[in-house]
Amino acid sequence: MAREKREPAGPFDYSRKLSLRLVFFLGSIFLYAPIVVLVIFSFNNSRRGGNVIWKGFTTKYYEKAFHNDALMEAFINSLAIAFISTLIAVILGALTAVVLWRFRFPLKPVFEGMVSLPIVIPEICMGVSLAVFFSSFGLYVPRDMPFPLNLTNIIIAHITFSFPFAAMVIRTRLNSFNREMEEAAKDLGATEFQVFRDILLPHMKPGLVAGALLAFTLSLDDFVITFFTSGPNTVTFPIKVYSMVRFSVTPEINAASTILILITLLVTFLAMRFQSFEEPRQ
Amino acid sequence: MNKSESPIISVKGVTKRFGSFTALQDISLDIRPGEIFALLGPSGCGKSTLLRIIAGLETATEGSVAIDGQDMTGIPANKRPVNMVFQSYAVFPHMSVADNVAYGLKLERRPAAEIREKVAEALAQVHLSDFAHRKPDQLSGGQRQRVALARALVKRPKVLLLDEPLSALDAKLRDAMRLELVKLQESVGVSFVIVTHDQSEALAMADRIAVLKDGVLRQLDSPAALYKRPVDRFVADFIGSINMFAVSGQRAEGGQARLETAELGAIAVPSDHLPAAGQGALTLAVRPERVKVGAEAPKEAQGEGGLVSVVGRLGDVAFQGNSSIVEVLLEGGGSLSALVSEAEADHLMQAESGSPITAWWALDDMLILPENATAA
Repeated sequence: MAREKREPAGPFDYSRKLSLRLVFFLGSIFLYAPIVVLVIFSFNNSRRGGNVIWKGFTTKYYEKAFHNDALMEAFINSLAIAFISTLIAVILGALTAVVLWRFRFPLKPVFEGMVSLPIVIPEICMGVSLAVFFSSFGLYVPRDMPFPLNLTNIIIAHITFSFPFAAMVIRTRLNSFNREMEEAAKDLGATEFQVFRDILLPHMKPGLVAGALLAFTLSLDDFVITFFTSGPNTVTFPIKVYSMVRFSVTPEINAASTILILITLLVTFLAMRFQSFEEPRQ
Repeated sequence: MNKSESPIISVKGVTKRFGSFTALQDISLDIRPGEIFALLGPSGCGKSTLLRIIAGLETATEGSVAIDGQDMTGIPANKRPVNMVFQSYAVFPHMSVADNVAYGLKLERRPAAEIREKVAEALAQVHLSDFAHRKPDQLSGGQRQRVALARALVKRPKVLLLDEPLSALDAKLRDAMRLELVKLQESVGVSFVIVTHDQSEALAMADRIAVLKDGVLRQLDSPAALYKRPVDRFVADFIGSINMFAVSGQRAEGGQARLETAELGAIAVPSDHLPAAGQGALTLAVRPERVKVGAEAPKEAQGEGGLVSVVGRLGDVAFQGNSSIVEVLLEGGGSLSALVSEAEADHLMQAESGSPITAWWALDDMLILPENATAA
């Protein structure tokens, strides 16, 4: 009964080695177990969210979360901030990327460094400086501004820290652009604007999508900078959750967080679908 | 009115400088309607720059380009009646083959029905009708090039500019594509201007060739004339293979000039054989197919010019199918090669390597070339 001999593992056959499989498994648990637990206990029929004893399945905390007006308002605020700041950050980032890629001008390295500075500056510093900036220049938006104008301060702050990420992602994408493509379009009769619209923009699209995705998730879960720039009437989801946790951890928070995870996953999925639709690979 | 009289492209005194570097030096040439015109030269000779100046992608520092009699100075690339096939083909990856070809027509805001018709016609011309809805990344290199060709030709340009059109293809496809390009040119009738560094490509395809070196136009002629009557040492060396002997000294003797070479000794030539223009040391040159080899040179000089003969030893014989290249190692150092027929080669193979052998050629077949014919 000679069994066929197993072939030795190839150079990239990492999954064949037990030790490496174990490391992968442990790593995955470390990364995802807390999230899985969070999701599971959002259905726990217990009054305390921190309770690790399973008391039966229920969806009542989702209902509760949906009927918690303050939580919902914070949730809608967060989504609105994320959408608006992403849109503006991606437009600014794309323009910056094109300028840095296309043109040569004095002090270009300085400009390039300044663009990416917000990535390395500690968030706390940015939060404080933005708070000081808004108050000292009297830029605090009146409290009775209609939605979403009441969120202007936070949106500005979010654009400031998310636009460098978008710019860098788009800039990287532009490096792979073949300049002959631009010349070919011009040769066929395209104006500068038509070249941008018909040739350069489609090439940038994956970068724009990736940049937007990055900006969106950064904005959605930002706490530090938002904390410094939000007023008492403009609460975002992370800040609301934080304040709720300080009273008591209820499964309601788990439920709201699960919805947030779902939204993030959905956006990511849509973005990936969109990209694979744009560029069919064979 | 005879159309072939007036040039379709007229380049007048074009000079291009990049900072202190001169890429093109006072180039003037005319391209005739309906011809295949090759810009030939080693890399860095400025041939691509000249093509880009004609296309409007680069502006000349001095001089002007006229297309079909109209001065193109100040007219941008997107308004010139010429189209270009780029070295990388530059096919738009996010558009289907048909959309690529239609792009130029859409920019002209032609009616949709007309665009469809013209695109189908252009794709048929380059044998890509079945690939109209493919994306470029599903095509081979040769197919992508044909997309680029169709995309340019569908605009009905007055001249089609091709930048190293065959360099990105593999050897076998390249030969097939050469023929196909010539056929395509015959069927569409517009002039092709082809930039290439490959002399065999230029010789095989072009009606006329401009040879450039370091931004200077060295010679403009038909392929046969370039091969038979190169004006200087560079052109002779660049086009085909040739045996060359540097002239070290020169003395006039009556109606004759005695030219000293290390390999051949002193050779007397009629003074009127010497090049009229040019500068630099002279070079004697003879094509391998003009060189005969044997035990002994014929006693009597054939023709009027007489013979040049040189004694050497038999070197390698390189088999090439219907002919062979025989290397003759010369007494005075160096070697020369002779192209011999299959029968002769068989005979020579019998002889031992290193055995004495004589090479000779008619004086009229020998070229006397200046270093540079264009320099003052």
